[in-house]
Amino acid sequence: MRVEYINPFVESAFNVLREVLQSDVRRGELYLKSTSMPVMGVAAIVGLAGDVEGRVLFDMDKPTALKIASAMNGEELKELDDLVKATITELANMITGQAVTKLHDLGFKFDLTPPAIFTGENMEVSNSDVEALIVPMETGHGKIEINVAIRERA
Amino acid sequence: MAQSEIEERAEAAEKARKAEKIDFKMVTFSLAGKEYGIDIMSVKEIAKAGRFTYVPNAAPFVRGVYNLRGDIISVIDMRIFFHLPAERKEEEALESLIILRVGEQVFGIIVDGIDKVVGISQASIQPPHPIFGDINVKYIKGIVENAGKLYIILDVDRIFAPERETERAADEAAALARPSPRAAPEEAPGFGADVASSFVKETLAALRGFHVGPTNEAWFASRFAEWKAGRKGADLQIKEASEADQFLEGFWSPATGRLWDDDYAQAVEAVLPEIEAKSINVWNPGCGKGYETWSLACVLRKRYPETRIKVWANDSDLLAISMAPNMVFPEAVPDYYVPFMTKGKNGLSFVQAVRDSIFFEYHDVMNANPLPPLDMILCRDMLSFLAPIDQKRLFGDFIDKLKPSGVVLTGLNERLGEGWTPFGTEAVPAFRKD
Repeated sequence: MRVEYINPFVESAFNVLREVLQSDVRRGELYLKSTSMPVMGVAAIVGLAGDVEGRVLFDMDKPTALKIASAMNGEELKELDDLVKATITELANMITGQAVTKLHDLGFKFDLTPPAIFTGENMEVSNSDVEALIVPMETGHGKIEINVAIRERA
Repeated sequence: MAQSEIEERAEAAEKARKAEKIDFKMVTFSLAGKEYGIDIMSVKEIAKAGRFTYVPNAAPFVRGVYNLRGDIISVIDMRIFFHLPAERKEEEALESLIILRVGEQVFGIIVDGIDKVVGISQASIQPPHPIFGDINVKYIKGIVENAGKLYIILDVDRIFAPERETERAADEAAALARPSPRAAPEEAPGFGADVASSFVKETLAALRGFHVGPTNEAWFASRFAEWKAGRKGADLQIKEASEADQFLEGFWSPATGRLWDDDYAQAVEAVLPEIEAKSINVWNPGCGKGYETWSLACVLRKRYPETRIKVWANDSDLLAISMAPNMVFPEAVPDYYVPFMTKGKNGLSFVQAVRDSIFFEYHDVMNANPLPPLDMILCRDMLSFLAPIDQKRLFGDFIDKLKPSGVVLTGLNERLGEGWTPFGTEAVPAFRKD
Protein backbone atom coordinates (compact mmCIF):
# COMPACT_ATOMS: atom_id res chain seq x y z
CA MET A 1 0.00 0.00 0.00
CA ARG A 2 1.30 3.43 -0.88
CA VAL A 3 2.95 5.15 2.01
CA GLU A 4 0.94 8.31 1.39
CA TYR A 5 -2.33 6.50 2.08
CA ILE A 6 -1.41 5.22 5.50
CA ASN A 7 -1.46 8.36 7.58
CA PRO A 8 -4.85 9.72 6.47
CA PHE A 9 -6.50 6.48 7.59
CA VAL A 10 -4.67 6.29 10.88
CA GLU A 11 -5.32 9.95 11.67
CA SER A 12 -8.97 10.00 10.76
CA ALA A 13 -9.64 6.77 12.68
CA PHE A 14 -7.96 8.29 15.68
CA ASN A 15 -9.77 11.64 15.42
CA VAL A 16 -13.21 10.27 14.71
CA LEU A 17 -13.07 7.65 17.44
CA ARG A 18 -11.87 10.13 20.01
CA GLU A 19 -14.53 12.60 19.03
CA VAL A 20 -17.54 10.28 18.99
CA LEU A 21 -16.55 8.23 22.01
CA GLN A 22 -15.27 11.13 24.09
CA SER A 23 -12.65 8.82 25.52
CA ASP A 24 -9.01 8.00 25.25
CA VAL A 25 -7.99 6.14 22.09
CA ARG A 26 -4.66 4.42 21.67
CA ARG A 27 -3.20 3.26 18.37
CA GLY A 28 -1.44 -0.10 18.29
CA GLU A 29 1.51 -1.10 16.10
CA LEU A 30 0.70 -1.14 12.38
CA TYR A 31 1.45 -4.28 10.43
CA LEU A 32 0.79 -6.07 7.15
CA LYS A 33 -1.20 -9.21 6.69
CA SER A 34 -2.20 -11.22 3.67
CA THR A 35 -3.59 -14.45 5.01
CA SER A 36 -7.26 -14.95 5.71
CA MET A 37 -8.26 -13.48 9.01
CA PRO A 38 -11.01 -14.19 11.48
CA VAL A 39 -13.68 -11.57 11.96
CA MET A 40 -14.38 -10.85 15.57
CA GLY A 41 -18.14 -10.71 15.26
CA VAL A 42 -19.17 -7.40 13.77
CA ALA A 43 -17.56 -6.10 10.60
CA ALA A 44 -18.37 -3.00 8.58
CA ILE A 45 -16.92 -2.79 5.10
CA VAL A 46 -16.51 0.21 2.80
CA GLY A 47 -15.40 -0.25 -0.78
CA LEU A 48 -13.05 2.15 -2.54
CA ALA A 49 -12.85 2.87 -6.23
CA GLY A 50 -11.31 5.46 -8.49
CA ASP A 51 -7.57 5.73 -9.10
CA VAL A 52 -7.29 2.80 -6.75
CA GLU A 53 -9.29 -0.25 -5.82
CA GLY A 54 -9.76 -1.81 -2.45
CA ARG A 55 -11.72 -1.82 0.74
CA VAL A 56 -11.61 -0.83 4.36
CA LEU A 57 -12.90 -3.24 6.96
CA PHE A 58 -13.75 -2.28 10.55
CA ASP A 59 -13.70 -5.29 12.77
CA MET A 60 -14.75 -5.60 16.42
CA ASP A 61 -16.44 -8.07 18.72
CA LYS A 62 -20.10 -7.85 19.69
CA PRO A 63 -19.71 -6.35 23.20
CA THR A 64 -17.45 -3.65 21.75
CA ALA A 65 -19.97 -2.87 19.04
CA LEU A 66 -22.76 -2.59 21.64
CA LYS A 67 -20.71 -0.35 23.90
CA ILE A 68 -19.61 1.91 21.07
CA ALA A 69 -23.15 2.18 19.74
CA SER A 70 -24.39 2.93 23.26
CA ALA A 71 -21.81 5.66 23.71
CA MET A 72 -22.59 7.22 20.34
CA ASN A 73 -26.36 7.18 20.92
CA GLY A 74 -26.21 8.25 24.51
CA GLU A 75 -28.36 5.35 25.68
CA GLU A 76 -27.75 1.82 26.86
CA LEU A 77 -28.20 -0.67 23.99
CA LYS A 78 -28.24 -4.37 24.81
CA GLU A 79 -29.25 -6.06 21.56
CA LEU A 80 -27.50 -6.03 18.24
CA ASP A 81 -30.50 -4.44 16.57
CA ASP A 82 -30.91 -2.17 13.59
CA LEU A 83 -29.93 0.91 15.56
CA VAL A 84 -26.63 -0.65 16.62
CA LYS A 85 -25.90 -1.79 13.09
CA ALA A 86 -26.74 1.61 11.66
CA THR A 87 -24.50 3.27 14.22
CA ILE A 88 -21.51 1.07 13.46
CA THR A 89 -22.10 1.58 9.74
CA GLU A 90 -22.12 5.30 10.29
CA LEU A 91 -18.89 5.12 12.26
CA ALA A 92 -17.23 3.27 9.38
CA ASN A 93 -18.57 5.84 6.96
CA MET A 94 -17.30 8.76 9.04
CA ILE A 95 -13.78 7.39 9.37
CA THR A 96 -13.45 6.38 5.74
CA GLY A 97 -15.04 9.60 4.57
CA GLN A 98 -12.65 11.73 6.54
CA ALA A 99 -9.67 9.72 5.30
CA VAL A 100 -10.79 10.08 1.70
CA THR A 101 -11.22 13.83 2.17
CA LYS A 102 -7.66 14.08 3.46
CA LEU A 103 -6.43 12.03 0.53
CA HIS A 104 -8.33 14.22 -1.87
CA ASP A 105 -6.49 17.25 -0.50
CA LEU A 106 -3.24 15.43 -1.24
CA GLY A 107 -4.30 14.89 -4.82
CA PHE A 108 -5.55 11.30 -4.74
CA LYS A 109 -9.02 10.64 -6.05
CA PHE A 110 -11.07 7.97 -4.28
CA ASP A 111 -14.78 7.14 -4.42
CA LEU A 112 -16.62 5.32 -1.68
CA THR A 113 -19.27 2.67 -1.82
CA PRO A 114 -22.01 2.73 0.82
CA PRO A 115 -20.90 0.72 3.83
CA ALA A 116 -22.22 -2.75 4.51
CA ILE A 117 -22.25 -4.54 7.82
CA PHE A 118 -21.80 -8.22 8.61
CA THR A 119 -22.51 -9.87 11.91
CA GLY A 120 -22.18 -13.45 13.03
CA GLU A 121 -20.00 -16.01 14.74
CA ASN A 122 -16.90 -17.63 13.29
CA MET A 123 -16.63 -15.50 10.19
CA GLU A 124 -13.50 -15.21 8.14
CA VAL A 125 -12.38 -12.84 5.41
CA SER A 126 -10.11 -14.29 2.84
CA ASN A 127 -8.77 -12.80 -0.29
CA SER A 128 -5.32 -14.17 -0.08
CA ASP A 129 -3.65 -12.18 -2.83
CA VAL A 130 -4.53 -8.87 -1.20
CA GLU A 131 -2.17 -7.47 1.36
CA ALA A 132 -3.89 -5.49 4.08
CA LEU A 133 -2.61 -2.87 6.47
CA ILE A 134 -3.88 -3.53 9.97
CA VAL A 135 -4.46 -0.53 12.22
CA PRO A 136 -5.40 -1.73 15.69
CA MET A 137 -7.25 0.87 17.76
CA GLU A 138 -7.65 0.44 21.51
CA THR A 139 -10.66 2.38 22.78
CA GLY A 140 -12.11 2.55 26.26
CA HIS A 141 -14.93 0.33 25.00
CA GLY A 142 -12.82 -2.38 23.41
CA LYS A 143 -10.59 -3.02 20.42
CA ILE A 144 -11.36 -2.11 16.82
CA GLU A 145 -9.18 -3.41 14.03
CA ILE A 146 -9.15 -1.40 10.86
CA ASN A 147 -8.08 -3.48 7.91
CA VAL A 148 -7.15 -1.40 4.87
CA ALA A 149 -6.41 -3.06 1.54
CA ILE A 150 -5.89 -0.65 -1.33
CA ARG A 151 -3.94 -1.08 -4.46
CA GLU A 152 -3.19 0.98 -7.48
CA ARG A 153 -5.17 0.11 -10.56
CA ALA A 154 -2.71 -1.62 -12.86
CA MET B 1 -23.71 -44.70 8.92
CA ALA B 2 -25.05 -45.94 5.61
CA GLN B 3 -23.42 -42.98 3.96
CA SER B 4 -20.01 -43.86 5.31
CA GLU B 5 -20.48 -47.47 4.36
CA ILE B 6 -21.20 -46.53 0.79
CA GLU B 7 -18.20 -44.27 0.77
CA GLU B 8 -16.04 -47.01 2.14
CA ARG B 9 -17.18 -49.41 -0.50
CA ALA B 10 -16.61 -46.87 -3.22
CA GLU B 11 -13.14 -46.31 -1.85
CA ALA B 12 -12.35 -50.00 -1.85
CA ALA B 13 -13.62 -50.33 -5.40
CA GLU B 14 -11.52 -47.37 -6.41
CA LYS B 15 -8.51 -48.98 -4.82
CA ALA B 16 -9.12 -52.26 -6.57
CA ARG B 17 -9.56 -50.50 -9.87
CA LYS B 18 -6.30 -48.64 -9.34
CA ALA B 19 -4.46 -51.83 -8.46
CA GLU B 20 -5.87 -53.65 -11.46
CA LYS B 21 -4.65 -51.26 -14.05
CA ILE B 22 -1.05 -52.26 -14.63
CA ASP B 23 0.70 -49.59 -16.56
CA PHE B 24 4.17 -49.58 -15.05
CA LYS B 25 6.62 -52.45 -15.00
CA MET B 26 9.81 -52.48 -13.07
CA VAL B 27 12.77 -54.74 -12.59
CA THR B 28 13.19 -55.37 -8.88
CA PHE B 29 16.43 -56.09 -7.08
CA SER B 30 17.92 -55.88 -3.64
CA LEU B 31 20.61 -53.66 -2.20
CA ALA B 32 21.77 -54.15 1.38
CA GLY B 33 18.62 -56.05 2.29
CA LYS B 34 16.12 -53.58 0.85
CA GLU B 35 14.02 -54.00 -2.25
CA TYR B 36 14.38 -51.55 -5.11
CA GLY B 37 12.87 -51.18 -8.54
CA ILE B 38 13.87 -49.56 -11.81
CA ASP B 39 11.49 -48.72 -14.66
CA ILE B 40 11.76 -51.55 -17.16
CA MET B 41 11.91 -49.06 -20.01
CA SER B 42 15.41 -48.05 -18.89
CA VAL B 43 16.60 -51.63 -18.51
CA LYS B 44 18.23 -53.12 -21.57
CA GLU B 45 18.96 -56.54 -20.12
CA ILE B 46 20.17 -58.35 -17.06
CA ALA B 47 23.31 -60.45 -16.81
CA LYS B 48 25.69 -62.26 -14.52
CA ALA B 49 29.22 -61.13 -15.02
CA GLY B 50 32.53 -60.75 -13.27
CA ARG B 51 36.20 -59.97 -13.86
CA PHE B 52 35.61 -56.38 -14.81
CA THR B 53 38.57 -54.59 -16.24
CA TYR B 54 39.87 -52.20 -13.63
CA VAL B 55 40.13 -48.56 -14.67
CA PRO B 56 42.79 -46.59 -12.84
CA ASN B 57 41.85 -43.22 -11.33
CA ALA B 58 38.15 -43.76 -11.77
CA ALA B 59 35.70 -42.84 -9.03
CA PRO B 60 35.51 -45.49 -6.30
CA PHE B 61 32.02 -46.58 -7.34
CA VAL B 62 33.18 -47.45 -10.87
CA ARG B 63 34.11 -51.10 -10.72
CA GLY B 64 35.58 -51.12 -14.17
CA VAL B 65 34.55 -51.74 -17.74
CA TYR B 66 32.94 -54.80 -19.21
CA ASN B 67 32.81 -56.23 -22.67
CA LEU B 68 29.15 -56.80 -23.49
CA ARG B 69 29.20 -58.72 -26.76
CA GLY B 70 31.70 -56.37 -28.25
CA ASP B 71 30.42 -53.15 -26.67
CA ILE B 72 32.52 -51.76 -23.87
CA ILE B 73 30.33 -50.51 -21.07
CA SER B 74 31.26 -49.12 -17.70
CA VAL B 75 30.09 -50.86 -14.58
CA ILE B 76 28.98 -49.01 -11.48
CA ASP B 77 28.61 -50.62 -8.10
CA MET B 78 25.35 -49.25 -6.74
CA ARG B 79 26.19 -50.23 -3.18
CA ILE B 80 29.32 -48.13 -3.15
CA PHE B 81 27.54 -45.39 -5.07
CA PHE B 82 24.94 -45.11 -2.33
CA HIS B 83 27.37 -45.79 0.51
CA LEU B 84 25.75 -49.05 1.43
CA PRO B 85 27.72 -52.00 2.81
CA ALA B 86 29.01 -54.15 -0.07
CA GLU B 87 30.42 -57.58 0.37
CA ARG B 88 33.49 -58.05 -1.70
CA LYS B 89 33.19 -61.27 -3.65
CA GLU B 90 35.94 -63.52 -4.77
CA GLU B 91 37.88 -62.37 -7.78
CA GLU B 92 36.26 -64.99 -10.00
CA ALA B 93 32.71 -64.73 -8.62
CA LEU B 94 29.95 -63.40 -10.81
CA GLU B 95 28.00 -60.28 -9.86
CA SER B 96 24.38 -59.53 -10.71
CA LEU B 97 24.39 -56.91 -13.37
CA ILE B 98 21.52 -54.78 -14.70
CA ILE B 99 22.34 -53.18 -18.02
CA LEU B 100 20.68 -49.79 -18.29
CA ARG B 101 20.13 -47.46 -21.16
CA VAL B 102 19.83 -43.81 -20.15
CA GLY B 103 19.63 -41.49 -23.12
CA GLU B 104 22.39 -42.60 -25.48
CA GLN B 105 24.43 -44.22 -22.77
CA VAL B 106 24.57 -47.91 -21.95
CA PHE B 107 26.15 -49.09 -18.75
CA GLY B 108 25.85 -51.73 -16.07
CA ILE B 109 25.04 -51.49 -12.40
CA ILE B 110 25.97 -54.11 -9.83
CA VAL B 111 23.30 -55.02 -7.29
CA ASP B 112 23.09 -57.67 -4.57
CA GLY B 113 20.47 -59.76 -6.29
CA ILE B 114 18.00 -59.43 -9.13
CA ASP B 115 14.50 -60.53 -8.25
CA LYS B 116 11.86 -60.32 -10.99
CA VAL B 117 9.71 -58.07 -13.07
CA VAL B 118 6.76 -56.60 -11.20
CA GLY B 119 3.80 -54.93 -12.82
CA ILE B 120 2.08 -52.18 -10.91
CA SER B 121 -0.20 -49.25 -11.53
CA GLN B 122 1.34 -45.79 -11.83
CA ALA B 123 -1.39 -44.46 -9.57
CA SER B 124 -0.26 -46.60 -6.67
CA ILE B 125 3.21 -45.09 -6.58
CA GLN B 126 3.57 -42.89 -3.56
CA PRO B 127 5.93 -40.00 -3.24
CA PRO B 128 9.30 -40.67 -1.62
CA HIS B 129 9.71 -39.99 2.03
CA PRO B 130 12.96 -38.71 3.53
CA ILE B 131 12.83 -41.16 6.39
CA PHE B 132 12.76 -44.03 4.00
CA GLY B 133 15.97 -45.75 3.12
CA ASP B 134 19.56 -44.82 2.90
CA ILE B 135 19.38 -43.13 -0.45
CA ASN B 136 19.06 -39.46 -1.13
CA VAL B 137 15.41 -38.60 -1.72
CA LYS B 138 16.14 -36.82 -4.96
CA TYR B 139 17.17 -40.10 -6.57
CA ILE B 140 13.91 -41.79 -5.63
CA LYS B 141 10.92 -41.66 -7.91
CA GLY B 142 8.53 -43.11 -5.39
CA ILE B 143 7.59 -46.01 -3.23
CA VAL B 144 5.19 -48.77 -4.07
CA GLU B 145 3.79 -51.76 -2.25
CA ASN B 146 3.30 -55.00 -4.08
CA ALA B 147 2.48 -58.44 -2.67
CA GLY B 148 3.44 -57.40 0.83
CA LYS B 149 6.80 -55.94 -0.13
CA LEU B 150 7.78 -52.28 -0.29
CA TYR B 151 9.80 -51.31 -3.32
CA ILE B 152 11.79 -48.11 -3.64
CA ILE B 153 11.68 -47.04 -7.26
CA LEU B 154 14.92 -45.37 -8.31
CA ASP B 155 14.89 -42.56 -10.78
CA VAL B 156 17.71 -43.60 -13.09
CA ASP B 157 17.35 -40.56 -15.30
CA ARG B 158 17.98 -38.41 -12.27
CA ILE B 159 20.92 -40.49 -11.14
CA PHE B 160 22.70 -41.01 -14.42
CA ALA B 161 21.50 -38.37 -16.89
CA PRO B 162 24.55 -36.81 -18.54
CA GLU B 163 23.72 -33.22 -17.60
CA ARG B 164 23.55 -34.26 -13.99
CA GLU B 165 26.97 -35.79 -14.21
CA THR B 166 28.81 -32.82 -12.78
CA GLU B 167 26.29 -32.28 -10.05
CA ARG B 168 26.50 -35.89 -9.09
CA ALA B 169 30.25 -35.76 -9.10
CA ALA B 170 30.09 -32.79 -6.78
CA ASP B 171 27.63 -34.60 -4.54
CA GLU B 172 29.84 -37.60 -4.51
CA ALA B 173 32.88 -35.54 -3.73
CA ALA B 174 31.04 -33.95 -0.84
CA ALA B 175 29.87 -37.33 0.36
CA LEU B 176 33.36 -38.74 0.14
CA ALA B 177 34.84 -35.79 1.98
CA ARG B 178 32.58 -36.55 4.90
CA PRO B 179 34.10 -39.33 6.96
CA SER B 180 31.85 -42.34 6.64
CA PRO B 181 30.29 -43.42 9.92
CA ARG B 182 32.10 -46.72 9.89
CA ALA B 183 35.51 -45.25 9.29
CA ALA B 184 37.60 -44.37 12.32
CA PRO B 185 36.91 -40.75 13.26
CA GLU B 186 39.67 -38.61 11.86
CA GLU B 187 40.29 -34.90 11.99
CA ALA B 188 40.40 -33.54 8.47
CA PRO B 189 42.96 -30.76 8.19
CA GLY B 190 40.46 -27.91 7.58
CA PHE B 191 37.92 -29.28 9.99
CA GLY B 192 38.11 -26.53 12.63
CA ALA B 193 37.70 -23.79 10.06
CA ASP B 194 34.67 -25.48 8.49
CA VAL B 195 32.87 -25.69 11.77
CA ALA B 196 33.75 -22.08 12.57
CA SER B 197 32.45 -20.92 9.21
CA SER B 198 29.16 -22.72 9.67
CA PHE B 199 28.87 -21.19 13.13
CA VAL B 200 29.50 -17.75 11.70
CA LYS B 201 26.82 -18.38 9.08
CA GLU B 202 24.35 -19.34 11.76
CA THR B 203 25.07 -16.39 13.99
CA LEU B 204 24.78 -13.98 11.07
CA ALA B 205 21.35 -15.41 10.37
CA ALA B 206 20.32 -15.26 14.01
CA LEU B 207 21.68 -11.80 14.84
CA ARG B 208 21.19 -9.93 11.62
CA GLY B 209 18.91 -12.11 9.48
CA PHE B 210 21.72 -12.47 6.95
CA HIS B 211 21.53 -15.81 5.15
CA VAL B 212 24.58 -17.18 3.38
CA GLY B 213 23.48 -18.96 0.23
CA PRO B 214 24.15 -19.14 -3.50
CA THR B 215 23.51 -15.39 -3.90
CA ASN B 216 26.36 -14.36 -1.63
CA GLU B 217 28.50 -17.45 -1.13
CA ALA B 218 31.48 -16.06 -3.01
CA TRP B 219 31.54 -12.92 -0.92
CA PHE B 220 31.14 -14.89 2.28
CA ALA B 221 34.03 -17.20 1.46
CA SER B 222 36.43 -14.34 0.79
CA ARG B 223 35.17 -12.32 3.75
CA PHE B 224 35.54 -15.32 6.03
CA ALA B 225 39.13 -15.84 4.91
CA GLU B 226 39.80 -12.16 5.59
CA TRP B 227 38.08 -12.39 8.96
CA LYS B 228 40.17 -15.39 9.88
CA ALA B 229 43.37 -13.61 8.92
CA GLY B 230 42.29 -10.48 10.78
CA ARG B 231 41.53 -12.38 13.96
CA LYS B 232 45.00 -13.97 14.06
CA GLY B 233 44.04 -17.12 15.88
CA ALA B 234 41.65 -15.36 18.23
CA ASP B 235 38.15 -16.74 18.51
CA LEU B 236 36.56 -16.71 15.06
CA GLN B 237 33.03 -16.82 16.23
CA ILE B 238 30.60 -13.95 16.29
CA LYS B 239 28.94 -13.44 19.62
CA GLU B 240 27.38 -10.01 19.49
CA ALA B 241 25.38 -7.98 17.05
CA SER B 242 28.20 -5.46 16.82
CA GLU B 243 30.57 -8.19 15.67
CA ALA B 244 28.04 -9.31 13.09
CA ASP B 245 27.87 -5.73 11.82
CA GLN B 246 31.65 -5.66 11.67
CA PHE B 247 31.63 -8.87 9.65
CA LEU B 248 29.08 -7.47 7.22
CA GLU B 249 30.86 -4.13 6.87
CA GLY B 250 32.20 -4.80 3.39
CA PHE B 251 29.02 -6.37 2.14
CA TRP B 252 26.98 -3.26 1.46
CA SER B 253 26.64 -1.89 -2.02
CA PRO B 254 28.08 1.55 -2.79
CA ALA B 255 26.13 4.51 -1.42
CA THR B 256 23.79 2.58 0.83
CA GLY B 257 21.60 4.94 2.86
CA ARG B 258 22.37 8.02 0.79
CA LEU B 259 22.03 9.25 -2.78
CA TRP B 260 24.33 7.46 -5.19
CA ASP B 261 27.44 9.51 -5.79
CA ASP B 262 28.29 10.77 -9.29
CA ASP B 263 30.62 7.88 -10.14
CA TYR B 264 28.23 5.15 -9.09
CA ALA B 265 25.25 6.80 -10.77
CA GLN B 266 27.25 6.99 -14.00
CA ALA B 267 28.36 3.39 -13.63
CA VAL B 268 24.73 2.30 -13.32
CA GLU B 269 23.73 4.46 -16.26
CA ALA B 270 26.42 2.80 -18.37
CA VAL B 271 25.16 -0.69 -17.60
CA LEU B 272 21.52 -0.02 -18.49
CA PRO B 273 20.62 -1.52 -21.85
CA GLU B 274 18.81 0.13 -24.74
CA ILE B 275 15.05 -0.08 -24.16
CA GLU B 276 12.69 0.50 -27.08
CA ALA B 277 9.42 0.50 -25.16
CA LYS B 278 7.44 3.70 -24.62
CA SER B 279 7.22 3.11 -20.91
CA ILE B 280 9.54 1.43 -18.46
CA ASN B 281 8.27 -0.37 -15.37
CA VAL B 282 10.72 -0.86 -12.54
CA TRP B 283 10.39 -2.72 -9.28
CA ASN B 284 12.59 -1.83 -6.32
CA PRO B 285 11.91 -4.26 -3.49
CA GLY B 286 13.65 -3.50 -0.22
CA CYS B 287 14.12 0.19 -0.99
CA GLY B 288 14.70 1.08 2.68
CA LYS B 289 14.65 4.83 3.21
CA GLY B 290 14.22 5.37 -0.51
CA TYR B 291 17.58 6.93 -1.42
CA GLU B 292 18.33 4.27 -4.00
CA THR B 293 14.88 4.66 -5.52
CA TRP B 294 15.28 8.40 -6.02
CA SER B 295 18.80 7.87 -7.36
CA LEU B 296 17.64 5.24 -9.81
CA ALA B 297 14.68 7.35 -10.93
CA CYS B 298 17.08 10.16 -11.84
CA VAL B 299 19.46 7.78 -13.61
CA LEU B 300 16.55 6.40 -15.63
CA ARG B 301 15.33 9.91 -16.53
CA LYS B 302 18.78 10.75 -17.84
CA ARG B 303 19.28 7.45 -19.66
CA TYR B 304 15.78 7.30 -21.21
CA PRO B 305 14.64 10.94 -21.44
CA GLU B 306 11.77 10.26 -23.85
CA THR B 307 10.27 7.35 -21.96
CA ARG B 308 7.55 7.19 -19.36
CA ILE B 309 9.05 5.74 -16.17
CA LYS B 310 7.27 4.08 -13.28
CA VAL B 311 9.04 2.76 -10.22
CA TRP B 312 7.32 0.66 -7.57
CA ALA B 313 9.45 0.82 -4.44
CA ASN B 314 8.56 -1.37 -1.45
CA ASP B 315 9.82 -1.96 2.00
CA SER B 316 8.33 -3.83 4.91
CA ASP B 317 9.94 -1.47 7.41
CA LEU B 318 7.27 1.18 7.93
CA LEU B 319 9.56 3.58 9.79
CA ALA B 320 12.21 3.51 7.07
CA ILE B 321 9.87 3.99 4.15
CA SER B 322 7.44 6.48 5.69
CA MET B 323 9.78 9.41 5.08
CA ALA B 324 10.74 8.33 1.57
CA PRO B 325 8.03 10.12 -0.46
CA ASN B 326 8.85 13.57 0.90
CA MET B 327 12.59 13.64 0.88
CA VAL B 328 14.20 17.04 1.32
CA PHE B 329 17.95 17.74 1.24
CA PRO B 330 19.05 20.73 3.27
CA GLU B 331 22.61 20.42 1.99
CA ALA B 332 24.17 20.08 -1.42
CA VAL B 333 23.53 16.92 -3.42
CA PRO B 334 25.88 15.22 -5.91
CA ASP B 335 26.02 17.10 -9.25
CA TYR B 336 24.24 14.26 -11.02
CA TYR B 337 20.93 15.15 -9.35
CA VAL B 338 21.00 18.92 -9.67
CA PRO B 339 19.02 18.97 -12.96
CA PHE B 340 16.26 16.96 -11.27
CA MET B 341 15.82 19.14 -8.21
CA THR B 342 14.13 22.35 -7.22
CA LYS B 343 14.89 24.61 -4.35
CA GLY B 344 12.19 25.00 -1.73
CA LYS B 345 12.16 26.78 1.60
CA ASN B 346 13.54 23.74 3.45
CA GLY B 347 16.15 22.79 0.89
CA LEU B 348 16.36 20.81 -2.31
CA SER B 349 13.68 18.37 -3.31
CA PHE B 350 12.98 16.38 -6.47
CA VAL B 351 10.95 17.90 -9.30
CA GLN B 352 7.37 16.79 -9.85
CA ALA B 353 8.21 14.69 -12.92
CA VAL B 354 10.54 12.52 -10.86
CA ARG B 355 8.10 12.42 -7.95
CA ASP B 356 5.29 11.26 -10.17
CA SER B 357 7.39 8.37 -11.43
CA ILE B 358 7.74 6.70 -8.03
CA PHE B 359 5.24 4.81 -5.90
CA PHE B 360 6.54 4.15 -2.42
CA GLU B 361 4.62 1.29 -0.86
CA TYR B 362 4.57 -0.23 2.60
CA HIS B 363 4.59 -3.80 1.41
CA ASP B 364 6.05 -7.18 2.23
CA VAL B 365 7.39 -8.90 -0.88
CA MET B 366 6.49 -12.25 0.64
CA ASN B 367 2.83 -11.37 0.10
CA ALA B 368 1.41 -11.26 -3.40
CA ASN B 369 3.22 -8.75 -5.63
CA PRO B 370 0.61 -7.21 -7.92
CA LEU B 371 2.89 -5.65 -10.53
CA PRO B 372 2.65 -5.13 -14.29
CA PRO B 373 5.26 -6.77 -16.55
CA LEU B 374 8.61 -5.29 -15.58
CA ASP B 375 11.55 -4.01 -17.56
CA MET B 376 13.86 -3.77 -14.61
CA ILE B 377 14.26 -4.91 -11.03
CA LEU B 378 16.63 -3.15 -8.66
CA CYS B 379 17.20 -5.35 -5.67
CA ARG B 380 20.29 -4.38 -3.73
CA ASP B 381 21.43 -6.11 -0.56
CA MET B 382 17.99 -7.44 0.11
CA LEU B 383 18.05 -11.04 -1.10
CA SER B 384 20.62 -11.98 1.52
CA PHE B 385 18.21 -10.98 4.23
CA LEU B 386 15.56 -13.42 3.14
CA ALA B 387 15.55 -17.02 4.29
CA PRO B 388 16.58 -19.38 1.45
CA ILE B 389 13.02 -20.58 0.91
CA ASP B 390 11.73 -17.01 0.65
CA GLN B 391 14.53 -16.15 -1.76
CA LYS B 392 13.37 -18.97 -3.97
CA ARG B 393 9.83 -17.66 -3.94
CA LEU B 394 10.99 -14.18 -4.78
CA PHE B 395 13.09 -15.49 -7.69
CA GLY B 396 9.93 -17.16 -8.94
CA ASP B 397 8.24 -13.76 -8.88
CA PHE B 398 11.21 -12.15 -10.62
CA ILE B 399 10.98 -14.65 -13.45
CA ASP B 400 7.22 -14.28 -13.58
CA LYS B 401 7.07 -10.51 -13.69
CA LEU B 402 10.12 -9.69 -15.76
CA LYS B 403 9.66 -9.17 -19.49
CA PRO B 404 11.88 -11.41 -21.66
CA SER B 405 14.26 -8.50 -22.26
CA GLY B 406 14.10 -7.36 -18.62
CA VAL B 407 17.13 -6.92 -16.40
CA VAL B 408 17.85 -7.35 -12.72
CA LEU B 409 20.40 -5.20 -10.91
CA THR B 410 21.66 -6.75 -7.67
CA GLY B 411 23.87 -5.58 -4.86
CA LEU B 412 27.63 -5.39 -5.21
CA ASN B 413 28.22 -8.76 -3.55
CA GLU B 414 25.17 -10.64 -4.70
CA ARG B 415 24.79 -12.91 -7.69
CA LEU B 416 21.82 -14.59 -9.27
CA GLY B 417 22.50 -18.21 -10.04
CA GLU B 418 20.93 -20.76 -12.34
CA GLY B 419 18.62 -19.43 -15.00
CA TRP B 420 20.28 -16.01 -15.23
CA THR B 421 22.93 -14.67 -17.55
CA PRO B 422 25.19 -12.06 -16.02
CA PHE B 423 26.20 -8.90 -17.82
CA GLY B 424 27.12 -5.56 -16.33
CA THR B 425 30.30 -4.73 -14.49
CA GLU B 426 32.15 -5.46 -11.28
CA ALA B 427 30.56 -2.49 -9.55
CA VAL B 428 27.10 -2.95 -11.02
CA PRO B 429 26.22 -6.63 -11.40
CA ALA B 430 23.29 -7.11 -13.75
CA PHE B 431 21.44 -10.18 -14.98
CA ARG B 432 19.11 -11.25 -17.75
CA LYS B 433 16.78 -14.21 -17.89
CA ASP B 434 18.20 -17.15 -19.85
